[in-house]
Amino acid sequence: MKTLIALEIRRTLRNKKFMFFSVIYPSALFLMIAGTQGNAKVPGSDLTMPLFVMVAMASFGALTSVLMGNSERIAKEREKGWVRQLRLTRLPGRGYVLAKIAGSAVVTLPAIVIVFVVAAAAKGVRLDAWQWIALTAVIWAGSVVFAALGVALGYIASGDAVRPVTMIVYFGLSILGGLWMPATLYPQWLQNIAEWLPTHAYAALGQAIELGGAPHAKDVAVLAVYFLLFAGGAAWLYRKDTLKA
Amino acid sequence: MQTTPVQFTGVTKAYGPVKAVADLTLTLRPGETVALLGPNGAGKSTTLDLLLGLRPADTGTVSLFGTTPQQAIAQGRVGAMLQSGGLMEEVRVREIVGLACDLHPKPYPVQEVLDRAGVAQIADRMVNKLSGGQEQRVRFALATAGANDLIVLDEPTTGMDVTSRQAFWATMRAQADQGRTVLFATHYLEEADAIADRVLVLHKGRLLADGTAAEIKAKAGARRIAFDLEGAIDESALGALPFLTALKVSGRTVRMQSHDADATVHALYGLGLYPRNLEVAGLGLEQAFVAITEAEENNSQGALSA
Repeated sequence: MKTLIALEIRRTLRNKKFMFFSVIYPSALFLMIAGTQGNAKVPGSDLTMPLFVMVAMASFGALTSVLMGNSERIAKEREKGWVRQLRLTRLPGRGYVLAKIAGSAVVTLPAIVIVFVVAAAAKGVRLDAWQWIALTAVIWAGSVVFAALGVALGYIASGDAVRPVTMIVYFGLSILGGLWMPATLYPQWLQNIAEWLPTHAYAALGQAIELGGAPHAKDVAVLAVYFLLFAGGAAWLYRKDTLKA
Repeated sequence: MQTTPVQFTGVTKAYGPVKAVADLTLTLRPGETVALLGPNGAGKSTTLDLLLGLRPADTGTVSLFGTTPQQAIAQGRVGAMLQSGGLMEEVRVREIVGLACDLHPKPYPVQEVLDRAGVAQIADRMVNKLSGGQEQRVRFALATAGANDLIVLDEPTTGMDVTSRQAFWATMRAQADQGRTVLFATHYLEEADAIADRVLVLHKGRLLADGTAAEIKAKAGARRIAFDLEGAIDESALGALPFLTALKVSGRTVRMQSHDADATVHALYGLGLYPRNLEVAGLGLEQAFVAITEAEENNSQGALSA
């Protein structure tokens, strides 16, 4: 299994185009969005706009690469029969999923770090050392939730349907969850919904750290529930897929 | 010493109303090289899927080495090369073969597997840049990454040219000579004829014939007769010839198959006919196969006779 994980990581690293854009574009978006805002406070929060956008874009970037990377690849490999071939080895199903998550985590880490570097250099964001480290760790770890979602999507949709389905889920979650603009700007009813989305909880982890505290238990719990839901769903879909082919 | 490699008992698998495999009972013995023949849609791929545990049977049981297919695979007793088995992309041949060796409980050294499958020269190529025949050889390398007791191959030589096909079967025979059981499905009947100890003919999910290539040929009617006739051809008179198993008239050419070609030709002259370009030849496995499946087709269309 270690060989498979190593191989998945190497494949991701080899895919230079995917790597480049996944790593670069959260930082580019950060500059575009944070550049237009001054250092005003985010409504309903003590965070300044650059701080908010930094965590939002780091989370968004991590989300992008794990979600897009996994769903499309899995759907493709399922179609091509590689998953079938793997089932003729003693590799357990979860080994494949684990390797996929590991392969995508390789992209997430540099994407997060580069957003931070750009934020510190271009927008003068300053945090304590522990905050930088905790932010990196929390955003990286939280991306596992969406990696599981990506696996599940790869099993739900196939062929041409994967991309649109992934896109809808991706933009829906990103916008509603407040990754692109603070959810506090939304009407109250939408805020009530946003609060329970995994993306909102994900961004909230980082924001709590930026404010100098620990992530809220509620957000951690929301993410944990979603992780179980997505991973459970992925496992169930994997088994269903097994019956089909 | 060895347990039965493959045992199907009353196995049925249907997709909706279509029975892909119908009440299949089958035993493969250790060390046999067995060809699985059948026209498209005969249920070959479904049979192999059931054998490998990729699909569950509706009824009946499939056991490999006295256990479930999944367990036999986990124990590293089965190597398989699927027609539908894709390869991992963006990796080198050496890497994917290395992965197969790593996942096998009783692996061979990677270099040895590469050499044996004839992919050592392309070991550093990317998998997604290979030709069809090269891909097949990589699949073969995956199927032989370790010391399996049973090797299952679905259309293994598809996409290979004649030379690599011959090289492939030489490799395969070496595997069989080590006492392995080999089961392969193929479209190329001459492969079955030349390589298999035993031939299974599958048609519409049922086992039509099971024997050596020679026995299958005998079953289909021993010889084929072909000739041309001038003038009007009286098909019913020709159809009444003794020992005839098949008759086909196309234009002036008459083709027939007979259990006793000597008697049939004798009777043919007895009709007062003067056949030209007369040819009498043994039936190839291919014709035998066509004869068997056609006979079955006619049986199932006509009155049901059990």
